[in-house]
Amino acid sequence: MNGGGFWAMGGYARYVWPCFALAAVVFAWNLMSARRYHAAARLRARRALIMEAAEGDEHRS
Amino acid sequence: MWTWFYKLASPPHVYSVAGAFAPWFLGLAALTLGFGVIDGLAFAPPDYQQGDAFRIIYVHAPAAWMSTFIYTTMAVAGAIGLIWRIKMGHAVAAACAPVGASFTVLALATGSLWGKPMWGTYWAWDPRLTSELILLFLYVGVLSLRSAFEDAARGDRAAALLAIVGVVNVPIIHYSVVWWNSLHQGATVAKLGKPSIDTAMLWPLLSMLLGSMLFFGAVLCFRLQGEVLNRERQASWVRQALKS
Repeated sequence: MNGGGFWAMGGYARYVWPCFALAAVVFAWNLMSARRYHAAARLRARRALIMEAAEGDEHRS
Repeated sequence: MWTWFYKLASPPHVYSVAGAFAPWFLGLAALTLGFGVIDGLAFAPPDYQQGDAFRIIYVHAPAAWMSTFIYTTMAVAGAIGLIWRIKMGHAVAAACAPVGASFTVLALATGSLWGKPMWGTYWAWDPRLTSELILLFLYVGVLSLRSAFEDAARGDRAAALLAIVGVVNVPIIHYSVVWWNSLHQGATVAKLGKPSIDTAMLWPLLSMLLGSMLFFGAVLCFRLQGEVLNRERQASWVRQALKS
Protein backbone atom coordinates (compact mmCIF):
# COMPACT_ATOMS: atom_id res chain seq x y z
CA MET A 1 0.00 0.00 0.00
CA ASN A 2 1.53 3.41 -0.95
CA GLY A 3 1.32 6.51 1.28
CA GLY A 4 -1.74 8.07 -0.39
CA GLY A 5 -3.54 4.74 -0.64
CA PHE A 6 -2.87 4.10 3.03
CA TRP A 7 -4.54 7.32 4.15
CA ALA A 8 -7.41 6.87 1.67
CA MET A 9 -8.18 3.38 3.05
CA GLY A 10 -9.67 2.31 -0.28
CA GLY A 11 -12.26 5.10 -0.14
CA TYR A 12 -13.35 4.22 3.42
CA ALA A 13 -11.10 6.74 5.21
CA ARG A 14 -14.03 8.70 6.67
CA TYR A 15 -15.21 5.55 8.46
CA VAL A 16 -11.91 3.84 9.34
CA TRP A 17 -9.94 6.77 10.79
CA PRO A 18 -12.69 8.11 13.08
CA CYS A 19 -12.99 4.59 14.57
CA PHE A 20 -9.29 4.48 15.43
CA ALA A 21 -9.36 8.09 16.67
CA LEU A 22 -12.34 7.30 18.89
CA ALA A 23 -10.57 4.22 20.24
CA ALA A 24 -7.52 6.36 21.08
CA VAL A 25 -9.75 8.84 22.91
CA VAL A 26 -11.50 6.07 24.89
CA PHE A 27 -8.18 4.43 25.86
CA ALA A 28 -6.65 7.78 26.86
CA TRP A 29 -9.74 8.77 28.86
CA ASN A 30 -9.76 5.45 30.69
CA LEU A 31 -6.11 5.72 31.64
CA MET A 32 -6.28 9.36 32.71
CA SER A 33 -9.51 9.03 34.69
CA ALA A 34 -8.26 5.87 36.46
CA ARG A 35 -4.97 7.54 37.48
CA ARG A 36 -6.82 10.69 38.53
CA TYR A 37 -9.27 8.60 40.58
CA HIS A 38 -6.39 6.93 42.42
CA ALA A 39 -4.60 10.25 42.98
CA ALA A 40 -7.79 11.87 44.33
CA ALA A 41 -8.35 8.94 46.72
CA ARG A 42 -4.76 9.26 47.99
CA LEU A 43 -5.25 12.98 48.52
CA ARG A 44 -8.50 12.44 50.44
CA ALA A 45 -6.88 9.80 52.64
CA ARG A 46 -3.91 12.10 53.33
CA ARG A 47 -6.22 15.00 54.23
CA ALA A 48 -8.16 12.74 56.61
CA LEU A 49 -4.87 11.76 58.22
CA ILE A 50 -3.76 15.40 58.63
CA MET A 51 -7.16 16.43 60.05
CA GLU A 52 -7.03 13.57 62.53
CA ALA A 53 -3.51 14.51 63.61
CA ALA A 54 -4.57 18.16 64.06
CA GLU A 55 -7.59 17.09 66.15
CA GLY A 56 -5.33 14.90 68.28
CA ASP A 57 -2.99 17.86 68.92
CA GLU A 58 -5.98 20.01 69.94
CA HIS A 59 -7.14 17.43 72.48
CA ARG A 60 -3.66 17.13 73.96
CA SER A 61 -3.13 20.91 74.35
CA MET B 1 -5.24 -24.24 49.45
CA TRP B 2 -7.63 -21.37 50.16
CA THR B 3 -4.88 -19.01 51.32
CA TRP B 4 -4.78 -17.20 47.97
CA PHE B 5 -8.56 -16.72 48.13
CA TYR B 6 -8.42 -15.23 51.62
CA LYS B 7 -5.56 -12.98 50.51
CA LEU B 8 -7.78 -11.66 47.72
CA ALA B 9 -10.17 -10.45 50.40
CA SER B 10 -7.44 -8.50 52.20
CA PRO B 11 -7.45 -4.78 51.22
CA PRO B 12 -3.72 -4.14 51.88
CA HIS B 13 -2.81 -7.21 49.82
CA VAL B 14 -5.10 -6.15 46.97
CA TYR B 15 -3.70 -2.59 47.11
CA SER B 16 -0.07 -3.70 46.91
CA VAL B 17 -0.68 -6.38 44.24
CA ALA B 18 -2.61 -3.87 42.08
CA GLY B 19 0.22 -1.37 42.44
CA ALA B 20 2.82 -3.96 41.44
CA PHE B 21 0.90 -5.31 38.42
CA ALA B 22 -0.37 -2.03 36.91
CA PRO B 23 2.89 -0.85 35.21
CA TRP B 24 3.52 -4.34 33.77
CA PHE B 25 0.02 -4.57 32.37
CA LEU B 26 0.33 -1.07 30.92
CA GLY B 27 3.72 -1.71 29.30
CA LEU B 28 2.63 -5.01 27.74
CA ALA B 29 -0.65 -3.42 26.59
CA ALA B 30 1.28 -0.64 24.82
CA LEU B 31 3.42 -3.24 22.99
CA THR B 32 0.56 -5.52 21.91
CA LEU B 33 -1.78 -2.68 20.98
CA GLY B 34 1.01 -0.97 19.04
CA PHE B 35 1.72 -4.17 17.11
CA GLY B 36 -2.00 -4.76 16.47
CA VAL B 37 -2.63 -1.24 15.16
CA ILE B 38 0.41 -1.19 12.85
CA ASP B 39 -0.12 -4.73 11.55
CA GLY B 40 -3.88 -4.27 11.19
CA LEU B 41 -3.71 -0.92 9.40
CA ALA B 42 -0.60 -1.32 7.27
CA PHE B 43 0.10 -5.01 6.66
CA ALA B 44 -3.14 -7.03 6.85
CA PRO B 45 -4.60 -7.48 3.34
CA PRO B 46 -7.93 -5.81 2.50
CA ASP B 47 -11.06 -7.97 2.66
CA TYR B 48 -12.25 -9.29 -0.71
CA GLN B 49 -15.79 -7.95 -0.11
CA GLN B 50 -15.45 -5.11 2.39
CA GLY B 51 -12.12 -3.72 1.19
CA ASP B 52 -10.26 -1.57 3.73
CA ALA B 53 -13.45 -0.89 5.71
CA PHE B 54 -12.94 -4.30 7.34
CA ARG B 55 -10.01 -2.76 9.33
CA ILE B 56 -12.62 -1.32 11.69
CA ILE B 57 -12.76 -4.87 13.11
CA TYR B 58 -9.45 -4.15 14.90
CA VAL B 59 -11.14 -1.68 17.22
CA HIS B 60 -14.76 -2.80 17.03
CA ALA B 61 -14.39 -6.53 17.86
CA PRO B 62 -12.01 -6.08 20.84
CA ALA B 63 -14.25 -3.29 22.22
CA ALA B 64 -17.33 -5.53 21.89
CA TRP B 65 -15.54 -8.49 23.49
CA MET B 66 -14.31 -6.31 26.32
CA SER B 67 -17.79 -4.88 26.94
CA THR B 68 -19.19 -8.36 27.71
CA PHE B 69 -16.03 -9.65 29.42
CA ILE B 70 -15.92 -6.67 31.80
CA TYR B 71 -19.64 -6.98 32.50
CA THR B 72 -19.21 -10.65 33.41
CA THR B 73 -16.21 -9.80 35.62
CA MET B 74 -18.29 -7.09 37.31
CA ALA B 75 -21.20 -9.50 37.92
CA VAL B 76 -18.92 -12.24 39.31
CA ALA B 77 -17.14 -9.71 41.58
CA GLY B 78 -20.53 -8.33 42.70
CA ALA B 79 -21.75 -11.87 43.46
CA ILE B 80 -18.61 -12.56 45.53
CA GLY B 81 -19.26 -9.33 47.45
CA LEU B 82 -22.92 -10.17 47.92
CA ILE B 83 -22.65 -13.86 48.82
CA TRP B 84 -19.44 -13.95 50.88
CA ARG B 85 -19.67 -10.32 52.04
CA ILE B 86 -16.18 -9.66 50.75
CA LYS B 87 -15.69 -5.90 50.44
CA MET B 88 -13.03 -6.29 47.76
CA GLY B 89 -15.63 -7.96 45.52
CA HIS B 90 -17.68 -4.76 45.56
CA ALA B 91 -14.51 -2.69 45.04
CA VAL B 92 -13.63 -4.70 41.90
CA ALA B 93 -17.21 -4.40 40.62
CA ALA B 94 -17.15 -0.62 41.19
CA ALA B 95 -13.80 -0.33 39.38
CA CYS B 96 -15.10 -2.34 36.40
CA ALA B 97 -18.28 -0.35 35.70
CA PRO B 98 -16.95 2.88 34.10
CA VAL B 99 -14.35 1.00 32.04
CA GLY B 100 -16.93 -1.46 30.73
CA ALA B 101 -19.36 1.34 29.91
CA SER B 102 -16.69 3.16 27.89
CA PHE B 103 -15.84 0.01 25.90
CA THR B 104 -19.56 -0.51 25.20
CA VAL B 105 -19.84 3.05 23.87
CA LEU B 106 -16.78 2.38 21.69
CA ALA B 107 -18.27 -0.89 20.38
CA LEU B 108 -21.57 0.80 19.52
CA ALA B 109 -19.95 3.85 17.90
CA THR B 110 -17.45 1.89 15.79
CA GLY B 111 -20.14 -0.63 14.86
CA SER B 112 -22.29 2.25 13.70
CA LEU B 113 -19.41 3.66 11.62
CA TRP B 114 -18.88 0.21 10.10
CA GLY B 115 -22.61 -0.25 9.47
CA LYS B 116 -22.97 2.83 7.27
CA PRO B 117 -20.74 1.69 4.36
CA MET B 118 -21.67 -2.01 4.70
CA TRP B 119 -25.41 -1.94 5.51
CA GLY B 120 -26.23 1.57 4.29
CA THR B 121 -27.31 2.75 7.74
CA TYR B 122 -25.66 3.85 10.98
CA TRP B 123 -28.23 2.05 13.11
CA ALA B 124 -30.76 -0.78 12.76
CA TRP B 125 -32.88 -2.38 15.49
CA ASP B 126 -31.02 -5.60 14.93
CA PRO B 127 -30.83 -8.20 17.78
CA ARG B 128 -27.03 -7.84 18.21
CA LEU B 129 -27.10 -4.04 18.17
CA THR B 130 -30.16 -3.83 20.43
CA SER B 131 -28.75 -6.29 23.01
CA GLU B 132 -25.45 -4.36 23.04
CA LEU B 133 -27.40 -1.13 23.61
CA ILE B 134 -29.21 -2.85 26.52
CA LEU B 135 -25.75 -3.69 27.91
CA LEU B 136 -24.90 0.02 27.89
CA PHE B 137 -28.15 0.78 29.76
CA LEU B 138 -27.24 -1.90 32.30
CA TYR B 139 -23.83 -0.31 32.85
CA VAL B 140 -25.47 3.12 33.28
CA GLY B 141 -27.96 1.55 35.70
CA VAL B 142 -25.20 -0.07 37.77
CA LEU B 143 -23.21 3.20 37.89
CA SER B 144 -26.28 5.26 38.83
CA LEU B 145 -27.53 2.77 41.42
CA ARG B 146 -24.18 2.67 43.23
CA SER B 147 -24.10 6.44 43.59
CA ALA B 148 -27.83 6.78 44.40
CA PHE B 149 -27.50 5.62 48.01
CA GLU B 150 -26.02 7.66 50.85
CA ASP B 151 -24.99 4.42 52.52
CA ALA B 152 -22.19 3.06 50.30
CA ALA B 153 -22.77 -0.55 51.43
CA ARG B 154 -26.42 -0.43 50.31
CA GLY B 155 -25.34 1.08 46.98
CA ASP B 156 -22.83 -1.75 46.54
CA ARG B 157 -25.45 -4.41 47.22
CA ALA B 158 -28.05 -2.84 44.90
CA ALA B 159 -25.50 -2.42 42.08
CA ALA B 160 -24.30 -6.02 42.53
CA LEU B 161 -27.86 -7.31 42.33
CA LEU B 162 -28.54 -5.42 39.10
CA ALA B 163 -25.20 -6.61 37.63
CA ILE B 164 -26.07 -10.24 38.46
CA VAL B 165 -29.58 -9.98 36.99
CA GLY B 166 -28.24 -8.22 33.89
CA VAL B 167 -25.63 -10.90 33.17
CA VAL B 168 -28.39 -12.85 31.42
CA ASN B 169 -27.91 -10.33 28.58
CA VAL B 170 -24.34 -11.54 27.91
CA PRO B 171 -25.27 -14.90 26.28
CA ILE B 172 -28.11 -13.10 24.49
CA ILE B 173 -25.55 -10.73 22.90
CA HIS B 174 -23.30 -13.65 21.94
CA TYR B 175 -25.99 -15.90 20.46
CA SER B 176 -28.23 -13.15 19.02
CA VAL B 177 -26.70 -13.72 15.56
CA VAL B 178 -27.55 -17.43 15.81
CA TRP B 179 -31.01 -17.26 17.41
CA TRP B 180 -32.48 -14.50 15.22
CA ASN B 181 -32.14 -13.21 11.69
CA SER B 182 -29.46 -10.57 11.95
CA LEU B 183 -27.75 -8.04 9.72
CA HIS B 184 -24.67 -8.55 11.87
CA GLN B 185 -22.15 -11.15 10.72
CA GLY B 186 -21.80 -14.40 12.67
CA ALA B 187 -18.82 -15.53 14.77
CA THR B 188 -15.49 -15.01 13.01
CA VAL B 189 -12.91 -16.14 15.56
CA ALA B 190 -14.73 -17.72 18.53
CA LYS B 191 -16.30 -20.71 16.85
CA LEU B 192 -15.64 -24.41 16.93
CA GLY B 193 -13.23 -25.56 14.27
CA LYS B 194 -11.26 -23.18 12.07
CA PRO B 195 -11.85 -19.42 12.39
CA SER B 196 -13.33 -17.97 9.17
CA ILE B 197 -10.62 -15.31 8.93
CA ASP B 198 -7.23 -15.48 7.23
CA THR B 199 -4.26 -15.72 9.61
CA ALA B 200 -2.77 -12.50 8.16
CA MET B 201 -5.92 -10.73 9.38
CA LEU B 202 -6.28 -12.83 12.54
CA TRP B 203 -2.92 -12.04 14.21
CA PRO B 204 -3.50 -8.28 14.52
CA LEU B 205 -7.02 -9.00 15.79
CA LEU B 206 -5.74 -11.37 18.50
CA SER B 207 -3.03 -8.85 19.35
CA MET B 208 -5.61 -6.08 19.75
CA LEU B 209 -7.75 -8.34 21.93
CA LEU B 210 -4.81 -9.28 24.15
CA GLY B 211 -3.73 -5.63 24.30
CA SER B 212 -7.25 -4.55 25.32
CA MET B 213 -7.32 -7.20 28.07
CA LEU B 214 -3.94 -6.05 29.40
CA PHE B 215 -5.04 -2.42 29.18
CA PHE B 216 -8.18 -3.28 31.15
CA GLY B 217 -5.93 -5.01 33.70
CA ALA B 218 -3.86 -1.84 34.11
CA VAL B 219 -6.86 0.48 34.37
CA LEU B 220 -8.57 -1.91 36.79
CA CYS B 221 -5.47 -1.89 39.02
CA PHE B 222 -5.36 1.94 39.13
CA ARG B 223 -9.11 2.21 39.80
CA LEU B 224 -9.01 -0.60 42.35
CA GLN B 225 -6.27 1.17 44.30
CA GLY B 226 -8.50 4.26 44.40
CA GLU B 227 -11.53 2.22 45.48
CA VAL B 228 -9.54 0.50 48.25
CA LEU B 229 -8.24 3.83 49.57
CA ASN B 230 -11.74 5.35 49.52
CA ARG B 231 -13.18 2.40 51.41
CA GLU B 232 -10.31 1.89 53.89
CA ARG B 233 -9.43 5.51 54.62
CA GLN B 234 -9.67 5.00 58.40
CA ALA B 235 -7.71 1.73 58.47
CA SER B 236 -4.31 1.68 60.17
CA TRP B 237 -2.58 0.07 57.17
CA VAL B 238 -3.62 3.04 54.97
CA ARG B 239 -2.03 5.43 57.48
CA GLN B 240 1.14 3.39 57.47
CA ALA B 241 1.17 3.24 53.66
CA LEU B 242 0.65 6.99 53.31
CA LYS B 243 3.24 7.86 55.94
CA SER B 244 5.91 5.71 54.30
